[in-house]
Amino acid sequence: MELTEQQKDALTEVINIAFARTAASLSELTGHRVLLDVPNVSIYPIGELGAALAEFLPAEVATVHQVFSGPVMGDALLLLNYDGAVTLADLLTEEKVSSDSLNASSREVLTEVGNILLNACLGMFGNLLQVHVSFSVPRLHLETLDALLRSLVIGSEGLRYALVVYTAFRMRDSSVNGYLVIALNVASLDRLIQEAEQYEERQWNTN
Amino acid sequence: MMAKILVVDDSGMSRRTLRRILESAGHQVSEAEDGIAALEQYFIDKPDLVLLDLTMAGMYGIDVLNRLREMDSQARVIIASADIQSSTKALVEEGGASAYINKPFSIEHVLDVVNRVLQGGAGGAD
Repeated sequence: MELTEQQKDALTEVINIAFARTAASLSELTGHRVLLDVPNVSIYPIGELGAALAEFLPAEVATVHQVFSGPVMGDALLLLNYDGAVTLADLLTEEKVSSDSLNASSREVLTEVGNILLNACLGMFGNLLQVHVSFSVPRLHLETLDALLRSLVIGSEGLRYALVVYTAFRMRDSSVNGYLVIALNVASLDRLIQEAEQYEERQWNTN
Repeated sequence: MMAKILVVDDSGMSRRTLRRILESAGHQVSEAEDGIAALEQYFIDKPDLVLLDLTMAGMYGIDVLNRLREMDSQARVIIASADIQSSTKALVEEGGASAYINKPFSIEHVLDVVNRVLQGGAGGAD
């Protein structure tokens, strides 16, 4: 499945705005400036997702999953390298966690951070595209990239494609790097593309 | 104006943050980590105000809001959620919420909205 240039432009614009909101939320939470790379939008068949993610992710990842439903439905993931997750939890908790592990309190903090960031991103999507999405309770997983991919595929039979919106964010003065991935089924992907194109039309008409 | 405020959120982090913000302004805070506990706590404590998360395991915040308003049509409820969608805000307004606060929380904004709602005004939305 290939996106036309115009579709890709429209999606990238919507995603840019949504991620800017996400970065602002992370910055508010941590008090650190967050640097965001230009999001890279690609579509992969689920079977090829592993190889695609392995290019930029380490083998051990901490992820927060949030399933969302509505006119556009799928699985949104915030992925952090394990050391980055420890550092982020450390920044947000008063007591210092041990340097190489995540205790119960740190896990709780990361889950809520994931909730806030994924809602910021998908909520902005909803606002821009004028669709309403409902969120499931966020879940934190500490696992290998392979296990993560298996859970994504096994848990969601309808997910045949993944829209990988991949952006690296870095917090200044810290080693936290993260990625956001949104996996969608075919119908949702079609709807998202349609809505993104309409968003572009609306922008054009209001200017 | 000191008030009894019930904070309902399944995230311990959010409950702690709100407790700290609200207690710094002299409010008395109780907590519930899910919808059922919130309804029980409301029945027992009759708080002046409820700060309610939306995405929770078990009972969703919207359902908790509806049940609270059935129990007490005058219940004052501020939704405190990470969901920034305009459509969600419209939905909870229809459900009778007094205001909407977005996560992450800002101390000034939380206290401003809480004070406005306690004084009988609409708190508005982020």
